[in-house]
Parts: sequence; C-alpha cells; structure tokens
Amino acid sequence: MGQTLTLRRRQSLIGWLFIVPASVLIFVFYFYPIVRALWLSFQTGVGVNLQYAGLFNYQRLLSDNVFKLSLTNVFIFLIIQVPVMLTLALILASLLNDPTLKFRGFFRTALFLPCATSLVSYAIVFRSLFALDGFVNYLLTALSIIDKPINWGGNPWTARFLIIIALTWRWTGYNMVFYLAGLQNIDTSIYEAALIDGASGVTRFTKITVPLLKPIILLTTIMSTNGTLQLFDETMNLTNGGPANATLSVSQYIYRLSFQYSPRFGYAAAISFVIFILVAILALIQMRVGDTR
Amino acid sequence: MRKNLIITLALVLVIALSGLASAVEITVWCWDPLFNIYAMEEAAKIYKEINPDVTINIVETPWDDVQTKLTTAVMAGQLNTLPDILLMQDNALIKNVTNFPGVFYDLTDSGIDFSQFADFKVRLTTVDGRNYGVPFDNGTAITALRTDILEQAGYTLEDFTDITWSEFIEMGKDILAKTGYPLLSSVSESPDHVMVTLQSARSWMFDENGNVFIANNEVLKETVEIYVELVKSGVLVQVPDWEQYIGTINRGTVAGTINGCWIIGTIVAQPDQAGKWGITNVPRLDKAPNATNYSNQGGSSWMVLNHSPNKDVAVDFLKHTFAGSVELYETILPSSGALATYLPAGDSDVYNEPHPFFGGQPIYADITEFAAKVPAVTYGVYNYEARDAVAVAISQVLAGWDINSALREAEETVKFLMGP
Repeated sequence: MGQTLTLRRRQSLIGWLFIVPASVLIFVFYFYPIVRALWLSFQTGVGVNLQYAGLFNYQRLLSDNVFKLSLTNVFIFLIIQVPVMLTLALILASLLNDPTLKFRGFFRTALFLPCATSLVSYAIVFRSLFALDGFVNYLLTALSIIDKPINWGGNPWTARFLIIIALTWRWTGYNMVFYLAGLQNIDTSIYEAALIDGASGVTRFTKITVPLLKPIILLTTIMSTNGTLQLFDETMNLTNGGPANATLSVSQYIYRLSFQYSPRFGYAAAISFVIFILVAILALIQMRVGDTR
Repeated sequence: MRKNLIITLALVLVIALSGLASAVEITVWCWDPLFNIYAMEEAAKIYKEINPDVTINIVETPWDDVQTKLTTAVMAGQLNTLPDILLMQDNALIKNVTNFPGVFYDLTDSGIDFSQFADFKVRLTTVDGRNYGVPFDNGTAITALRTDILEQAGYTLEDFTDITWSEFIEMGKDILAKTGYPLLSSVSESPDHVMVTLQSARSWMFDENGNVFIANNEVLKETVEIYVELVKSGVLVQVPDWEQYIGTINRGTVAGTINGCWIIGTIVAQPDQAGKWGITNVPRLDKAPNATNYSNQGGSSWMVLNHSPNKDVAVDFLKHTFAGSVELYETILPSSGALATYLPAGDSDVYNEPHPFFGGQPIYADITEFAAKVPAVTYGVYNYEARDAVAVAISQVLAGWDINSALREAEETVKFLMGP
C-alpha cells in the first residue's frame, strides 16, 4: 500500500510536515488564547467571580468616559504622528538611496539604531531630556526661544507633543528600512529616463518613487496604525497617562483595569477586542484606498 | 557483606527521608534590599535558632510585579506559582483579599496578638473583621524640615508643630519671600499629598459602607483646595516624577517635605545635610471636624498564602519574628531605619536614642508617639480607582476647573468603575 503514494501526494505530505510545527505553535499560543479572550470578553465580574453576560461588556463600553478619552488620545497620536513619521521616513529613504552619497552606511545605521533600543530605556532618556530642568529646556532657554522652562509633562498638549516626538524618533528609522528595501526594486533606468526628459528631483520623487513604493507605503501605514492603537510603553513610562489622562492609551487603560484596579478581565478583554476590530476596519479602508491593483 | 549493605542502604534511606520531612523552605516575595529584604533576612536569622530546619528563601520582587504576578496566578488558577509569604502594600490589601477570596490565609485565630500593633495599621489589614496581614513597616506621616533654612527666615521647628494648614501656608509664603525656598515638593499627578491630609481628618474617598464619597466630601474638598493654594502660592513645587522629587530633597532645592516616615531613608542619604533636618507632625485642616496632626502614607504588611503546604510553618515564623521579637526590631531599626508598628518595640532603648542626622532629636520615639494617634480609616476595595480619579480632578482644578464639577466627575468615574 505504501508504494501507492504518488509523487505528488508524497510531496504535499512533506510540505504539510514542514508547516505542522509552526502551525501547531501558532494555534496553541496565538489562536487558542484569542478565542479564550473572546470568550472572556462575554463574561463580567470582579476578580475570580466571573459570570457569562453576553454582550454586556460591549454595552458598558459605550458609557465609559475614560475609555472614550483613551480612544481619542490614540487617534490624536495616529492622525498626527503616523503621516509625519511616514513622510519623514520616505524622504530619508530616498535621500539615503542616492549612490553618490558618502557615509551612506553610517547614516542608515544611525537612523535605524533607535528602534534597536529598549522601549523602556528610551522612554526614560526622553523623560530626563524633557524634564523641567532637562536638556531641552536648557537649550531652549539658552537660545532665548523661551524665557521660562516648559513643563512638558504638565499640560495636555505638550505632553501629547512629547509622546509624538518620542514615537517619531523611535520608529522613523524602522519604516525607512522598509522603503529602502522597496527602492532597491525600482529599476534605475526609470530614473535615468526621467532625468533625460528633464524631470526635477521633486517630480521624480512624486511621480516615480511614491507610486512605485505604494504597496510598501500601504504595508507601513497598516503596521503603524496597528502599533499606535496598541501604544503602551511610551505613555506608561513617559507620562504615565497624565496629565489628567490626556495621554492615557487604550492599552494602558486595559493594564489598569486588569492589574492596578480591582481586576475586571472580562471588561479588559472586551476593550482589547474593540481595538482588534478597529485595526481590522482601518486596515480594510487603507487597503481599499491604497491598493489599486 | 550483603547484610551490611542492606543495613547501610536502609540507613541512607531513613536519613534521606527524615531530611525530606523536616527541611522546609519558605519562599517570600518582597522588595527593597535596604529595607524589607534586609528585615526579612534578619528575621530568618532569628528563626534559624528557633527552628533550624526551616530556610527562608527571599525572592526580590518589586511591588508592581507582586501585584501583576498575584493577579495572573489567581486568574489562571496557578496558585502553586505563588510564594508562601508575600509583602502587600496596605492600600491594595483589602482589594486583593476581597477579589481573590480564599487565596490568603486568615490569621485571626493563628495566635498572633494583633493588639500589640498600632491600631490604624491593624485596621488596614483587616477585612470583614478578619486579620489577613502581619503589620510591618510604619508609614506614619511626618513633616521633615530644613532647620537651617527655617532659621534664616526666623522660624523654628516648634513653630511648625501642632499647627493648621493656614498657618503652614502663611509661614511658607514668608519663608519663600525671605529665602527663596519653597517648603514642599510633590510629584504632579500623584495624589499622595492629598491622601495624607484626608486621612489626618479621619476621612477617605469611601464612606463607612464602602460607597464613593468624593463629590459631597467637604473634607476632601478642603484638602484639594489647600493643595491648589500650596501650588499657586509657590509654597509647594510640583515635579514630574519620583526621581525629581527625591532630587529636590537631596539637592536642597526645597526646605522640607511631608510624607510617610520611610522618607527618612532618602533624607539621610545626603550626608552633607547632616544636622540640618528636624521632624515634626503634619499640619491639620482648619475646618474639618475630626482634624488631627497625624496621618499615614504608604506602608506594607506580610501575608500568608492559603494554598501553601507549609502555611503553619510560615505563620509560626511570622509569629516568632515580626509579631513577637523585639530583638528583630532593635536590630533593623538603627541600620535601615525600618520603623515598625509593633508597639512593644517602641519601649526599647534603641527607639529612644537621639539621631545625629536630625540634630540629636530622638526621631523614632517621636514617630512612634505619632503612630499611636494616626486616625484609622479603611482604604477599601476600589482605592486605586478613586486615587486615579481624584488625581485627575486635582489636575483639572489646577488647570482652572471648578472644584465641584471636577470632584463630581471623579465620583462618576469611580462609580462607573465600581458598577456592574
């Protein structure tokens, strides 16, 4: 009977064998917890006293002002920070793609380095830079741009600005690397032809680079949207959600509900599923808008 | 030959088994090597003489991790990952006992004499009339002041003893004008300062029945108003985080601080300020009916886990050390400043010794005296929710909001979080 296994079947069997270990791990450590979390989100109660309550948690969300505020906060970050960061990354990538540029490797490494640092340690460095008697205030007062130190973490918009600056510093290089990789796939002859036709640098950037990088721009947009909606480390360590919850992210609220407050795991799970649904919707919109294939 | 071998083997087996039976290891989770861990190590030494078969295994675990690990283990039903004893912040004790029923060992009938501990501290470790924690460190609130700066402005420590907040602010403004030093600093967004004042008047953010008591709490309102006045007058400077708060004390940019007496550990870390500090009790509210000059900030207690197979040993260990050994407290006090709430230790000579850093003031005797007068309040199950909400309200009032609407919003937030 063993001999009846055709070559084709044998090959597909080997293929299956190769993906089984990874699939099992993904199912056990990813999909199973996701399903359990979904089940958890239908349960309500404090601590270990949980009961099934259907969609109650999702209803409860609608009247939760802190949740609404945290959602507003991450959307503020999303709308301001993601476009700024991606534009910056795109410009830097096309600058660093110029083969005549000296020390290219150094600049690329230097720009990529921030995202190799630990999230917590960079947040602490930023906190001390932007402290009341920190380097930034010192610099700004020395240059007479401001006459008294700014309490960056002290009022809502400067605190949000601080988070945006930190996020941009940390993630621009990361996105730049994707663009650099994408740029390698654009044939140099296209640029040469454009050059012969007399196209300026700006025209080449907007008419060749951006359209040809579209799939990668789409990818980085979706990844950044996802990352921003799940923001945690920066707000936790830089501002701790303050002042008056002006920088509280949804993930930090989930953390508070689960570990700092009287634990409500069911409710926290429901919030995380709302984020999941939002990411899915935003990704879908971005794909509709961006993918014209 | 064979007979001998069998006898030897049997002997080896017996010895091995007896070793297994008597050698007990008690695992303890606590934080701070200079304070709690050190105290636990000294307690282990004392217990070694009483019961040599027991070893105490101390695992350094910061408080945030203790809470996270505890919650995760209980929610996942993996209680065997928890230690035998853990150190619990008093402000989270009731919350954890209430939300995780049966997880902590009920110490009421364990033979530990809880009347030997400061009353306010026992209240914080009691849930529904049952004792769940062996009280440990003392969080009695103190006003620590730079006597050299006071002197420049013509004041003494006496002037700041048994005073009201309006007197404090009055003198604070004068000192600020004369010397340029603010009296206090605090971490913005942290409501600790307000909590100290609130407890000093036997009030809290919950009433006797555990209902939210924020919007109509006149004492809280007076407390927040005082805090806002302190900030606006410049008598108190707000700093963004804890490190910078410590910095204001150690670098000498403020003339004092109000906090739990454990802040002494931070103050004495700056040797060139030796002899320039003094401590006294905290200011009291002017209007509040139960106003006193005594309060509490922070503090923690030892808890025994119910699932522990060695809980009897763990209880016996605590009974002979933290709840029964004056010697332990005499050892840990001079070297770590770990002030206890175990009252018999207060009579010890060590407690009455003058402290050179504080100009020869017998500070430990003074603090022990304050501790006996701290008003007892119950922090409640939803303490962290209420703290955060009041912190938001304080920020709002500082930003110009009307105090009544800020507190009303805080009350609604807490009510929502407590809701079904």
